[in-house]
Amino acid sequence: MATEKPLPGSTTPKKLIDGSLIFITLVAVVAGIAVYVTHGAGAFWDVVARETLFTGALVPKIVAGVIMASALPFLVSKERIQALVGPESGMRGLIIATLAGAIVPGGPSVTYPLTVSLLAAGADLGAGIALVSGWVLLGLNRTLIWEFSFLPADFVLLRVALSLPVPILLGWATRKLYQGRDV
Amino acid sequence: MNILIGTLVLWGLALWMLRKMQGQDAADRTAMWARSKATVIFMLPRILVGLLGAGFLAVLLPVDQIEQNFGTESGLMGITLATIFGLITPGGPFVAYAIGAAAMKAGATLAPLMAYVTAWSIVNLNRSIAYELPLMGRHFLLLRTILSVPVPMVLGLLVWAFQ
Repeated sequence: MATEKPLPGSTTPKKLIDGSLIFITLVAVVAGIAVYVTHGAGAFWDVVARETLFTGALVPKIVAGVIMASALPFLVSKERIQALVGPESGMRGLIIATLAGAIVPGGPSVTYPLTVSLLAAGADLGAGIALVSGWVLLGLNRTLIWEFSFLPADFVLLRVALSLPVPILLGWATRKLYQGRDV
Repeated sequence: MNILIGTLVLWGLALWMLRKMQGQDAADRTAMWARSKATVIFMLPRILVGLLGAGFLAVLLPVDQIEQNFGTESGLMGITLATIFGLITPGGPFVAYAIGAAAMKAGATLAPLMAYVTAWSIVNLNRSIAYELPLMGRHFLLLRTILSVPVPMVLGLLVWAFQ
């Protein structure tokens, strides 16, 4: 059974050039050419300058997030991570993962490496899906800073209330889908 | 400003974890730094290329069209349209909230607004291309997207049914 494909996200990425990088490079090249042709060189270079600067501004955040994600498996034992959010962690594990997603600060450059790290350290895919879903739907940082400043409070509260069970449901559905497959 | 505060909070947490690492074996610390370095080298080109692609797409996508058309339809059709608009709305942390607020002022009802904001939150093109695909891989992104796309429709319909 050694040839069986690993579950998505369950391994630490190693290959520097892979299908995903080739795909996003193609998207960038094709969309970049389209912008150059339809909107002119000015618009093209505007995007290049803005996104390059933004990536530069992200670097300190990325490094901090990566250090956290890399240190985590050394500070918390695999058994502990498995007990908290592993395949046998049940509904409690999905709730923990959802809450973790909601409170982790730092956005995508932190949440994704942290999820990869947890998956490699013993969390199951259902918990990984619950964590990312908890972050995108309930992320405290984005909701408190941005959503409340633009949208009426009763709308935001209703959206959060309706979204509360969703990450747990999606994590549970993932576990059902992958039932019987070894991690 | 937000990015600065976020970075400071993260560095506080990272330094706290590094301090805890001092209690571990030297070999563990070496392994941790090696892993950190490999991950940063893995992430940086991906985030730059992903953000460039998402930035170009944002120029090409008709954001003003979204603002004009959203909320003009109600019921199932309005909720479906709002979901599609939400999935393709590009931009940083607040573009969709600004569009939603503008649509509300223009008379959009609660149900399509719920579908729109939820769709943009749960799966958006920008984040999928710039971060999720390159960092999590195709399988994770596809699985999460397929599971998530019905959610804004369901939430929109719930609001519509109980309104």
